[in-house]
Amino acid sequence: MNLDFSQIVPYIPFILEGIGTTLKFVSASIVIGFILGTLLALCKVTKAPVLKPLADAYTSIFRGTPLILQLMIIYYAVPQLTGYDISAFISAVLAFGLNSAAYISEIIRGGIQAVDKGQTEAAEALGIPYRPMMANIILPQAFKNILPAMMNEFITLTKESALVSTIGYLDLMRRAQVVGSDLYRNFEPLLFAGLIYWVMVFVLTQLGRVLERRLRQSD
Amino acid sequence: MIKAENITKKFGKQTVLHSISTTIKQGEVVAVIGPSGSGKSTFLRCLNLLESPTEGKIWLNDQEITNPKRNKLAVRKHIGMVFQHFHLFPHMTVLDNVAYAPQKVKGIPKQEAHQTAKKLLAKVGLTDKEQAYPNRLSGGQKQRVAIARALAMEPETMLFDEPTSALDPEMVKEVLDVIKDLANTGMTMVIVTHEMNFAKEVADRVLFLDRGKLIEEAEPTAFFHEPATERAKDFLAKVL
Repeated sequence: MNLDFSQIVPYIPFILEGIGTTLKFVSASIVIGFILGTLLALCKVTKAPVLKPLADAYTSIFRGTPLILQLMIIYYAVPQLTGYDISAFISAVLAFGLNSAAYISEIIRGGIQAVDKGQTEAAEALGIPYRPMMANIILPQAFKNILPAMMNEFITLTKESALVSTIGYLDLMRRAQVVGSDLYRNFEPLLFAGLIYWVMVFVLTQLGRVLERRLRQSD
Repeated sequence: MIKAENITKKFGKQTVLHSISTTIKQGEVVAVIGPSGSGKSTFLRCLNLLESPTEGKIWLNDQEITNPKRNKLAVRKHIGMVFQHFHLFPHMTVLDNVAYAPQKVKGIPKQEAHQTAKKLLAKVGLTDKEQAYPNRLSGGQKQRVAIARALAMEPETMLFDEPTSALDPEMVKEVLDVIKDLANTGMTMVIVTHEMNFAKEVADRVLFLDRGKLIEEAEPTAFFHEPATERAKDFLAKVL
């Protein structure tokens, strides 16, 4: 067996820097996905006529096409159409944020609809307007129920983020590849990157558990 | 005062209320009774517009609340409602359950809202549960919190939708006692109930509904001793 981990040692700082670059765009994407996803979910449960089909169409498009294709379109097609030279970072944040908004909106919609209808009625009977009702009564209960599904989505997003290596963004994955071609040895840097991804997801999972426990204090 | 005029409610092709008219006077306690599926709850829910009547008009004092231009939320500030299944907000403490709506709807400062809430919780005998979450409470306690929550908005009228039907038998009394106390304060109330003795004791008037029609409307002694209609006689024979 031909394995020599000592050879990647000089490259470790370079690879570790990838954690920062990956986390930077993943967290930005999560924020965008979460905010946009919540808004889309509200559009889906509203009785107002136009918003629902628009939100449904959005979900259909972003869920119905490959993420890598969306990424490529944003990165390569935007400059072609507008002349604006979009950076790899912005493209990545947009693609991942817009894409996960579609999934998150479905998770949140399910969560909202799973909240007992009596909650809405009780709020209405007290004269509570729509916004505070959603913000203080329905959504907190919905979020509590969907937290596991949401963590799942964030974990998927963290791992799938490796796709941005295809547009040259120097994330963790891309750095492992760079090191691999420098050394003509791929197994060691890839395994190292894999370990880092696993640790990131592990930490995320633990954070999710803590959050879940805190939200469950009313049980 | 609430005045209902020819209230008809249809769900699709099914008519659940047929042209019901009645007036609930200031300070009056009205019990609505009748078999399951007779439209009692739907009628009650029409009074605070949780259901919009298909036809007919409802007045709260001298304002027509069924007028589409009127703000439903503004109407509901004046009408409190207590549900069969409580519908407390599970993620809020008992105190917050009671104090939330006055703050959000009436803009009452937090401290004042909490003070009022504490008074109301004392009134329903739950001072020691202020910081508890609803699912730590028994059914009877939950319903008493729900009553305090509705009262916190200082409504003119209270609607009770089968307030004791979801309770274990030994908890019915504690809730009925709270409602009785409230009746004695002169609160206008409409109570949908299956507790005939309670209706007899507390109500000033009984409405008997069957299949969406108001069959009989009478003072309780008269209604329970000498019901005027065969249908009411039949019903009472089965439930008493």
